[in-house]
Amino acid sequence: MAESSPAPVVEGRPARRTPRARRSAAAASEGKTAALGRRAVALSRFYSGKIETVPKVPVRSLRDFALWYTPGVAEVSRAIQSDPERSFDLTGRWNTIAIVTDGSRVLGLGDIGPRAALPVMEGKALLFKWLGGVDAVPLPIHAATPEAFVATVEAIAPAFGGINLEDIASPKCFGILEELQRRLPIPVWHDDQLGTAASTIAGVLNALELTHRSVREIRTVLLGAGAANLVTARLLLALGHDPHRLSVVDQRGVLDAERDDVDELMVRNPWKYRIALQTDGGGRTGDFAHAVAGADVLLAASTPDPTTIRPEHVRSMAPSPIVFALANPVPEIWPAVATAAGAAIVATGRSDFPNQVNNSLIFPSVFRGVLDARARSIPDEIVLAAARELALHAHDQGLSTTHLLPTMEEVAVFPHVAAAVGEAAVRLGIARRPLSREEYYARARQLMDRSGRLVRALARARLTPPMPSAKALPERNEG
Amino acid sequence: MNASNETAASGPADTPTVPIHLRPARPADVPALVPLLMRLKRLNEEFDPLLKVRDDAERQADEVLRAQLSDPKAVILAAEGVGADKDKVVGFVRALVRERPFYTPEWEGVIVDIYLLPLYRRRGVGEYLLRETSAALKAKGAGVVTAEFPAQNEIASRFYAKRGFRPIQLLHARSL
Ligand SMILES: CC(C)(COP(=O)(O)OP(=O)(O)OC[C@H]1O[C@@H](n2cnc3c(N)ncnc32)[C@H](O)[C@@H]1OP(=O)(O)O)[C@@H](O)C(=O)NCCC(=O)NCCS
Repeated sequence: MAESSPAPVVEGRPARRTPRARRSAAAASEGKTAALGRRAVALSRFYSGKIETVPKVPVRSLRDFALWYTPGVAEVSRAIQSDPERSFDLTGRWNTIAIVTDGSRVLGLGDIGPRAALPVMEGKALLFKWLGGVDAVPLPIHAATPEAFVATVEAIAPAFGGINLEDIASPKCFGILEELQRRLPIPVWHDDQLGTAASTIAGVLNALELTHRSVREIRTVLLGAGAANLVTARLLLALGHDPHRLSVVDQRGVLDAERDDVDELMVRNPWKYRIALQTDGGGRTGDFAHAVAGADVLLAASTPDPTTIRPEHVRSMAPSPIVFALANPVPEIWPAVATAAGAAIVATGRSDFPNQVNNSLIFPSVFRGVLDARARSIPDEIVLAAARELALHAHDQGLSTTHLLPTMEEVAVFPHVAAAVGEAAVRLGIARRPLSREEYYARARQLMDRSGRLVRALARARLTPPMPSAKALPERNEG
Repeated sequence: MNASNETAASGPADTPTVPIHLRPARPADVPALVPLLMRLKRLNEEFDPLLKVRDDAERQADEVLRAQLSDPKAVILAAEGVGADKDKVVGFVRALVRERPFYTPEWEGVIVDIYLLPLYRRRGVGEYLLRETSAALKAKGAGVVTAEFPAQNEIASRFYAKRGFRPIQLLHARSL
């Protein structure tokens, strides 16, 4: 955070009730998280992992393997050898992605390494299947350098229709994503950059509509210059945001082109350097308080501390300010505090407040869309198409200050976003299999529904044991 | 590291299409030049711990610049901005003419510092600075122009390589 003056946590009038409410909210949420953690460990031990491979062909007897395996399969291999693109028709490649991480920045846990990252990647794979009908292989890898990481992913790419990079530290994640996107003929996505930025953009578009603003006129402050916000900044500029009204703020204050550390950034974080040059601080210099005064929109993806943004910051913004406090698990300002300070619209990363900005609204559908289009890449236009579709869907369901984005319950949105992504891929000429929007939609729905049916069928057949109750499953101490 | 261009300076400078006004630096520029020189040294520090900037570097910069401004063997050019940046020094070059007792050409013009504020980069200003500096060095008798920069500064390597420079001597170091 830029601010250093130790101002009171809450000043002036709205005090009294809020600090206590806030403390108890934080304490309650911590207690709940701890309980969920214990239960998750117990269940992980019980189920021993979250996903497995399941055959998708009939196997009547071992004799069928003459088709599924040798000798029959040799002809399938030859077909692919003579036309590599056929690997998308003749194998599961069309629907299979790898979730690759080096474990260098896992959730809020930091650099925990690839082995410890595996349960998270398994969870992500489950989400991919459940929400997107995508077969995702969790693949945490040891890679000493970004170059080794890139080389490894390039080496495994022939098996996959797409790559989802996950939980890689910033700034190396930028270089890794750029390099893999350049090298591979399949979509490469880094969810912490693109997924978060896309759902943020969707929320911003609707917040602007609700407050009758245009992206071309607003002043925006991005607090935090990590993976998500640097991409959000790039996407805002692509949408026509005036670079000289966009201030990116990090721990050292406003990122302008003459800041003391700008040459260091040129060497160590060229992506941040690029934004510094493009925006030149959005016409501001100094600390966060200087940047935020008069701003229409504040997008914070920074420190999980509810005093990062203070009520006086919100009060100093333009009328009807828009505040996104996206740090997890604790937002940069509690929504009630922001609203009391005059925020017209508040969004967070949490599901227990209205307006959750959630990358899970984006990544399953984006991958469904690019996989169905068999897209060769995933440019920013695709990311924006997904964001726009997500925004539109909330719009159609009745936009309000507490319904800015679809919730995770509004599953109907997923195939629509997938179809918009497929359509964008066709428009951009990167679809190996161009279909109509309706066809993409129908396909996405069918594959997404199938996952639900599959999970339920496995449960009915008792192939997935029912979830043991907390009592039946003692929580052992897990050291 | 040294890079050299044997053909030395090009002909008379064309009218710059670049957004700066280049002129010889004056003593009155020193307060504006010191921060730019410090930025360059701090950038160099990024590349190697043996280029760690001294605590008194700022005072040194002031003294060195003042001394060299009246040294006939030194070329110090100041780049002023235009438009809103008019009268603001946005970049500079410092170069020194040195004797080469054993080689020909016997006078070498060494570019020791070249720096532009970020918003002035990658628009051909550096190229123009290089051309003008080379001409000034040639006028002082240099038959070869060289440039010193940290071995790890790949941006500088690329910048000079594009302009026909190649490494001719290496400076290897280890601490004692
Ligand atoms: C070196 C410097 C004076 C060059 O000036 P410039 O006006 O940017 O140079 P030009 O526009 O004439 O040429 C730009 C070339 O320099 C290189 N370059 C400059 N900045 C670069 C960067 N951030 N990344 C990659 N290459 C860069 C490239 O080769 C570039 O060519 P391109 O734009 O066609 O890719 C300027 O970039 C600078 O001040 N850099 C920081 C200080 C420094 O490194 N000094 C040199 C070592 S002492």
